[in-house]
Amino acid sequence: MASARRVAVTGLGLVNPFGGDLADFFGRMLRGESAIRLYTREDDVLKPLSVPAVRCANFDADAALGRSLAYTMDRYSQLGTAAALSAWSDAGLPRTREAPRNDWGVSWGTALGGTLTFESGYIEMLRNGRERVPPLSVVLGMSNAAASHISILLGLGASSATYSVACASSAVAIGEALPKIRSGEATLMVVGGSEAPLSYGVVRAWEAMRILALGDEASAVRACRPFSSDRQGLVLGEGAGAMILEDWDHAVRRGARIYAEFAGCGSTSDHEHLVRPNVEGQTRAMRMAIQNGGLAPDEIDYVNAHGTATREGDPIEIAAIRGVFGSRSAEVAVSATKSMHAHMLGATGVIEAIITVMSLASQDAPPTAYLDDVDSECTGVRHITGGSLRSGLRAALSNSFAFGGSNTVLAFRAVH
Amino acid sequence: MREDYLAVLSEFLRKRENIDPARVTPEASLEELKVDSLLLLELLFEFEDRLGVKIPQDIPRPSTVGDLLEIVDKVTAGNGV
Repeated sequence: MASARRVAVTGLGLVNPFGGDLADFFGRMLRGESAIRLYTREDDVLKPLSVPAVRCANFDADAALGRSLAYTMDRYSQLGTAAALSAWSDAGLPRTREAPRNDWGVSWGTALGGTLTFESGYIEMLRNGRERVPPLSVVLGMSNAAASHISILLGLGASSATYSVACASSAVAIGEALPKIRSGEATLMVVGGSEAPLSYGVVRAWEAMRILALGDEASAVRACRPFSSDRQGLVLGEGAGAMILEDWDHAVRRGARIYAEFAGCGSTSDHEHLVRPNVEGQTRAMRMAIQNGGLAPDEIDYVNAHGTATREGDPIEIAAIRGVFGSRSAEVAVSATKSMHAHMLGATGVIEAIITVMSLASQDAPPTAYLDDVDSECTGVRHITGGSLRSGLRAALSNSFAFGGSNTVLAFRAVH
Repeated sequence: MREDYLAVLSEFLRKRENIDPARVTPEASLEELKVDSLLLLELLFEFEDRLGVKIPQDIPRPSTVGDLLEIVDKVTAGNGV
């Protein structure tokens, strides 16, 4: 890999439940502030939904995108395109097109795509007795719609691909962009993911798996407690994140701010079970990311864990982390930020990657919120609890482990 | 050509694309009014919904507002397009 190009992270953007900008979001993460609230959805026929969840309630698609564009998008595309435009602007890139961008592309992730569009079609037909659904349903609902809109708006002529790998979707999308830039096939990639999963069907389906955290108005804020002895499951959320990945020399030439280096990626499959994760599969993915990034395990100072707060998943991830770092595990800082931004399914990988990059850039990593009593099965690492960890962070991992057994780990290196 | 069909069209374009209703005349080009193939699908859907008719799939592609309203006229009058 000696001749391969290095990859810089030069832009970050997101649509988040707090409604503010990246600095505001990251500041709240550092303070351990949860965005989880009780989500209720009333309906005159269906039993109302009432679950802890994360919603981007302040997101105004018309304001962010313009009314006529917003109208042609499902909410997952609206969130995603807004995040991509925000990352683009953060990277100091112009919306004008001086030259063709045929070696710039987009790599996107979503687990469910336009699920709200499909649901409203079913509601129209089955409940309202309509014989047909609106004519834009296909282009709203398709899983590559967000990537396509981003490509069209920003004039990106290299590949436009969408990865649907359940909870690892956007991590995979980020990882797949790495060899494209390293090889010179692409100079710049807009990467990330978006999800708008709060439909009746999706929430009910997760409830039926008996792994959604319960809560009421008062307790919802602390419903997701990864690694805690009293954890009770995951919380669904909507949101979007985007990063600008760029050939290092290109970034330096144009004087771009470099947040961190995207050093490496490891992807493995557990090849064992649809929902029960596997220590060995996760260990291999972390080792592969470290090696692929030209890093040594000793250089990793922070791991942003997948940490969904399920009974079964959390101890397996901690065992995998211990397997990678061995006797040094107790020094490796770990936090699960889903305790605050919840599980955004296809968007969660990029949100956590953004938090990981910001941690390296600011040398300050967020805690796992509400982790007052670490489960005895989840010990052996340096859990960040209470407040943030201001520390010298050289390199960090962001873990994403999907149902189906797909594991993707992203490795980032601090820029000094 | 019925005036109220023109009103349906201009109201739709005003709401969706913020187009000044004064620009929506029978002679106006659909392309200049930003009516691309997707928006045309929505317009046909809107007319079908409002008027309770079925516009056949094999209609000629209209290029002006007048062409489109003529298609709607013919369908509502029970004539073939």
